[in-house]
Amino acid sequence: MTSHTIPHDDDFRAGRALSLDHRKLGMWLFLASEVMFFGGLIGTFLHYKATLPAPESALLDTVLVGLNTFVLITSSLMVVLGLDAIQRGRRRGLITFLGLTALLGVIFLGGQAYEFVSLYGHGVTLQSSVFGSSFYTLTGFHGLHVLIGVVWALLTLVKAARGTCSAQEHGGVEAFGLYWHFVDVVWIVLFTIIYLI
Amino acid sequence: MTANPPTTHDGRRARGYLAVFLALAAITAIELVLTQVGLAASVANALFLILSLAKATLVAMFFMHLRQDSRVYTAIFLLPVILVLAFSTLMLMSAGGH
Repeated sequence: MTSHTIPHDDDFRAGRALSLDHRKLGMWLFLASEVMFFGGLIGTFLHYKATLPAPESALLDTVLVGLNTFVLITSSLMVVLGLDAIQRGRRRGLITFLGLTALLGVIFLGGQAYEFVSLYGHGVTLQSSVFGSSFYTLTGFHGLHVLIGVVWALLTLVKAARGTCSAQEHGGVEAFGLYWHFVDVVWIVLFTIIYLI
Repeated sequence: MTANPPTTHDGRRARGYLAVFLALAAITAIELVLTQVGLAASVANALFLILSLAKATLVAMFFMHLRQDSRVYTAIFLLPVILVLAFSTLMLMSAGGH
């Protein structure tokens, strides 16, 4: 046996023996906690949906929200293309795709704001019914996550513009990407349980 | 070493991302069409859940790179997902009993 086949204690402590990247591992652990957070909200929404009548759900505009879903999916494509660009050493490509990601995130939030205003106009508020409370809480927290993602995308863009990202060092972009795709996955689930079923 | 291996490989990777995106867009379009078709609620709900699961899996495997990354990341992500699914199922079962 050589020292190449038996990882050193330091390697185990640093996670290298498992081929794990610290930043990525931390991000996945954070996302696991986010699954539990949204899981609680989704469970609550489903419980009320199954037990209480919600005539307000007829007011939901599935086609508009479907287009918004398409916007979010497109933003996820922009993130992976940005990551792909920096992995190939193309900083300009990363900056362009991060800018498009932030723009699509803002468009998504605009669509959500339009939906909220429209529902509010029909009398659906946080206090009007259990449906209103659970709907606004669930979609509002998701919207907050998108807003945080937009800010994060812009901060990553600024870092890239300052030249701190490269083909060798792009862990920050990868961590942001994991967060953004997770927000996308959560929306895929929300779109189904709120608007489709 | 080939003359230009990184470009060839990376070009293929970008095309793969585009293919996943087109699949996600197509599934979303199918979902929207299904809302306009008068399917029985039980059939429609089952279809929507399957399509949603397919979309989430595509994003997690290809955009979040779980397909090629360490299985430790997959385990970390799947454990709470399984717990949430079990929790929601049990809660809906108890709601159905009332």
